Amino acid sequence: MAPQDRLTSTLERPESTVAPLLQVEGLRVAYGGHEVVRGVDLELGAGRSLALIGESGSGKSTIAKALLRLLPTGGKASGRVELAGRALLELPERHFRRLRGRTIGFVPQDPGNALNPVRTIGAQALEAAELVDELAKPDRRAAVLETFAQVGLADPERVFLSYPHQLSGGMLQRVLIGLAVLPRPALLVADEPTSALDVTIQKRILDLLSELREGLGISLLLITHDLAIAAERADSLLVLKDGVAQETGPTAEVFAAPSSDYARRLHADVPALNPDRYAQLRDLGRAGAPKIEVVAVTKSFGSLTAVDDVSFSVPAGTTHALVGESGSGKTTAIRLLSGLEQPDSGRIAVAGEELRGRSHASLRSVRRHLQLVYQNPFTSLDPLWKVERLVREPLDRYRIGSPRERDELVRETLTAVGLGEHLVSRRPSALSGGQRQRVAIARALVLRPDVLVLDEPTSALDVTVQADIVETLLRLQAEQGLTYVFVSHDLSLVRQLAHTVSVMRRGRVVEQGTVAQIFDSPQEEYTRTLLDSLPVGAS
Amino acid sequence: MTLTAVTTTEAPAPPTRPVWRVPPTVVVSFVVVALVLAWSIAPGVFSHQNPVDGIPSELFRPPSGAHWFGTDHLGRDEFARVVHGTASSVSSALVAVLIGLVVGGLFGLLSGFFGGLVDTTLARFVDVLLAIPSFLMAVVIVSALGFQTINAAVATGVSAVAVFARVLRSEVLKARSAVFVEASLLLGGSRASVLFRHVLPNASRSVLQLAVLQFGLSILTIASLAFLGYGDPPPASDWGLLISSGREYPLAPWLVWAPAVVTIVTVLSVNRISRWLRKTD
Amino acid sequence: MSRGYLPFALRRAGQAVLVILLAYVATFVVISVLPGDPVTATLRNPQNGFTEEQIARIVSYYGLDRPVLVQLWEALSRFVTGDLGVSLRSNRPVADMIGEVVPSTLVLAGASLGLALLLAFGIAFGVRYLPRPFGPALRSVPSLFLSVPGFLVGLLLIQIFSFGLGLFRAIDADSPWATFFAALTLGVWVSAQVAEVLIANLDREAEQDYAGVARARGLGQARLLLRHLLKPSALPVVTVLAVMIGEVLGGAVITEAVFGRTGLGSLVESSVASQDLPVLQAVVSLAAVVFVLVNLLADLVYPLLDPRVTVVRPEARVAVA
Repeated sequence: MAPQDRLTSTLERPESTVAPLLQVEGLRVAYGGHEVVRGVDLELGAGRSLALIGESGSGKSTIAKALLRLLPTGGKASGRVELAGRALLELPERHFRRLRGRTIGFVPQDPGNALNPVRTIGAQALEAAELVDELAKPDRRAAVLETFAQVGLADPERVFLSYPHQLSGGMLQRVLIGLAVLPRPALLVADEPTSALDVTIQKRILDLLSELREGLGISLLLITHDLAIAAERADSLLVLKDGVAQETGPTAEVFAAPSSDYARRLHADVPALNPDRYAQLRDLGRAGAPKIEVVAVTKSFGSLTAVDDVSFSVPAGTTHALVGESGSGKTTAIRLLSGLEQPDSGRIAVAGEELRGRSHASLRSVRRHLQLVYQNPFTSLDPLWKVERLVREPLDRYRIGSPRERDELVRETLTAVGLGEHLVSRRPSALSGGQRQRVAIARALVLRPDVLVLDEPTSALDVTVQADIVETLLRLQAEQGLTYVFVSHDLSLVRQLAHTVSVMRRGRVVEQGTVAQIFDSPQEEYTRTLLDSLPVGAS
Repeated sequence: MTLTAVTTTEAPAPPTRPVWRVPPTVVVSFVVVALVLAWSIAPGVFSHQNPVDGIPSELFRPPSGAHWFGTDHLGRDEFARVVHGTASSVSSALVAVLIGLVVGGLFGLLSGFFGGLVDTTLARFVDVLLAIPSFLMAVVIVSALGFQTINAAVATGVSAVAVFARVLRSEVLKARSAVFVEASLLLGGSRASVLFRHVLPNASRSVLQLAVLQFGLSILTIASLAFLGYGDPPPASDWGLLISSGREYPLAPWLVWAPAVVTIVTVLSVNRISRWLRKTD
Repeated sequence: MSRGYLPFALRRAGQAVLVILLAYVATFVVISVLPGDPVTATLRNPQNGFTEEQIARIVSYYGLDRPVLVQLWEALSRFVTGDLGVSLRSNRPVADMIGEVVPSTLVLAGASLGLALLLAFGIAFGVRYLPRPFGPALRSVPSLFLSVPGFLVGLLLIQIFSFGLGLFRAIDADSPWATFFAALTLGVWVSAQVAEVLIANLDREAEQDYAGVARARGLGQARLLLRHLLKPSALPVVTVLAVMIGEVLGGAVITEAVFGRTGLGSLVESSVASQDLPVLQAVVSLAAVVFVLVNLLADLVYPLLDPRVTVVRPEARVAVA
């Protein structure tokens, strides 16, 4: 069967645009007695796209699972869901199963875990080909290879024979999109399809989805936490919070003039849409003499040069950002800076003190001046310790002040990062992500260091929480004259809070300069590619 | 904008775990284990009859109000014999677990924390302990030390060393590679302080669960050794020995089933507690 | 699979040889800790009817008159060449005695492992796919199996099927039914441990993203289990089964005693009873050899079966298992 035939011979898809393909009314999902989706209505026309936007806990992924009827055990969906005129929730399971894959395709969030690790990609792709009823068994392989080529995989034969761990995340997501569109479903549900991918790859995957939607006339339900992506890729938006729709309508309307408080706040908190939000706060402090100097530092692990001849210097009281995609060496750079790794060559000085060649014991004195805040507050705090003890630990280790003074310092610092008194005797598991990261920041600040190294401190957090943390960090900088080294993959965020930037790629610094230089007049091709990949919300 | 205002806009913290709830079967299990431990500490409180000297006129009485578990070929009360045999059957299992925990735990701790040559050396040693099937090893050790219940306990403990060493090593490695441990080193902690404050407490949960599981297994192993006659000789009344000698009287099946059911219920309860500990992690 | 396989295999084989030798030494050390001098005591027991001359020959054969380290060295040298020594009790080569009983234990071990696999897979499949309340109830079966001492399972089976139903005569230990129930006795114990691993793995795999994605691709529960969940869940069972060899060899002592079978286990029991140390040493060392070789084989085969495992880090397998 030629690709053109299959392209046109799609499923029962209403030609008229009068009746929407997907119509949801009063959808509720509950686990036990706890409702996580509380009466959501939505409508998606054939060939159109709708984005569900929300932060963690908003119920957006639950809606996707409810549509596919793949809720975990204990989950119950009620309300009316109609797809091409059929009520989905009432169908018996064996009838509904025929719709999965054939009529509703699914693109998952994390491509790295979405394929069976012990089976070849080909074996799993043939499962998708089986769903095309008119495709005879011998033709299935050809159809799979053709689809792989269609989604932009360069060597379909090799991909077919590979195991998932042998391919990159971007390639895997192409495979998964291919498997989802191969049976030509009427509706494609994409659950955060790019949140696990680098920004340049993210753009290509989103382009591919838009392309397939237009080429094949598939409707797209895009689930995302990123307002900018949603605005760029969808015809209409639905903003969710705590399982309730806050606002819905055509993208242009919702995006340009949000009417609900929550949508307004969401809009204000997305860094890409508000590059100058913190400019005033950021520029309160005054730059001093260089606090950190990194000169020609190189570090290799075996044959891999993780950091290659990297130099930068950070004036006191300012923020220097290291920006790059995964594998760019930014994480290794800050491990070198914290003395967790020793450089092969080059010089690192913090507050005038040389870092290289120090023992663990003598690094201790440097670390009083330089503290690290980790990316993931879910792993960087000992789960058995309570907040007060966690923040107090560095004071105890460095034997600072009397026990009473330590108590006092802990309380002061917790207040400074915005944590209330009532939280001090909680364990991390009883805190939200944002609260945990505040504890981590307090723990780093309690020693009164001059320098904070921040390793993607907000990437595990929701965008509104991120905005709060960023504001706290900038205020602390203005008050205490702190110097920050800020590592991030998020260029928009960097633009909001950094003074100077190093763009890294494959261990090397590609371009360096002030925020204005990098963002307004990038000199290097790679920097331009990165900037072009940013979703900016305008479609 | 004040900071307290900032915190209120955050999503509320996930609710702390609903009130500590223990499943009913676990409660029953704890009661059983507590009862059995009480038997082993103060058998006289639970049975007033003589476990060693029987009443010749009351041979092979089936279970009744007077003799809950019946009587044996010498007219001894079987319940009294089971209760008085608990000390060596159960407490010796505790000794075994203690040996395995202390020796194996130390091995695993050193191995996981120091790594390098220490780890390689101890790993080979643990490999050797694993290579000899544990029950055979217990048999060899008990036959070298002499046929006594305490020696059976030592033998059982030694054969459990490898398991403890392996689990503790992997737990220590896991904890050592945890981000919060690295963070603690950055915050000025020495290796020793990190080991005792972060690594050990985090490793202790799975070790506790393993210790409870091994307690059940040790009861079984010691009963098996007693069954083969490698424990204290009669008139001692280890559960395994009771079952073994009960076999000779097929017409008095309670002599087998009473100690058998007590053994099974005890081990079942211990295993239930162990599974519960694993789940509540 | 990667180019590092051969060095990995060689390193792993080298470790295995070292462990076997050390296991022999360990057994030797434990046995010679024995208080007193049971060897010459046994020899001089008039019941055995050794002449002074024979005793002198045996004593010098084993070098019992020389320092322990020398004895160890000589015993080890003989062990390496396959010479397992001579029984103190029967004065026969130990290798011959073992050779006579090995087939019976092999049959028992093989049958029990087969039954254990059947039971374990049956339980694990039942847990996942039997309707309530049967499926969930099956979950507690492995725990129950693990709470019953092996000898009790044997006694129970004999009670029911021999005394009760008369299916076999308990005395006729080599009849097919007797062998079956002996294997079942061992198999129940082994199956519980395999089933626990299998159930946990199936639960874990079913929670993985890929399982959800495969269902979104239209797969039903049965296909999901057979095509997707089974392989990653069952692969680690290879390693578990290899470890279970030790349980089977140890459990044979009890099982053979309960069913009155002759085999390696009964040989252990009789040599313990008669303090026939060369036999005990030989059987235990042999068990260690079998255990180490089977586990070596499992380790070497595993990277070939599981595409996720690379042999660059041999420890990686532990994470999977």
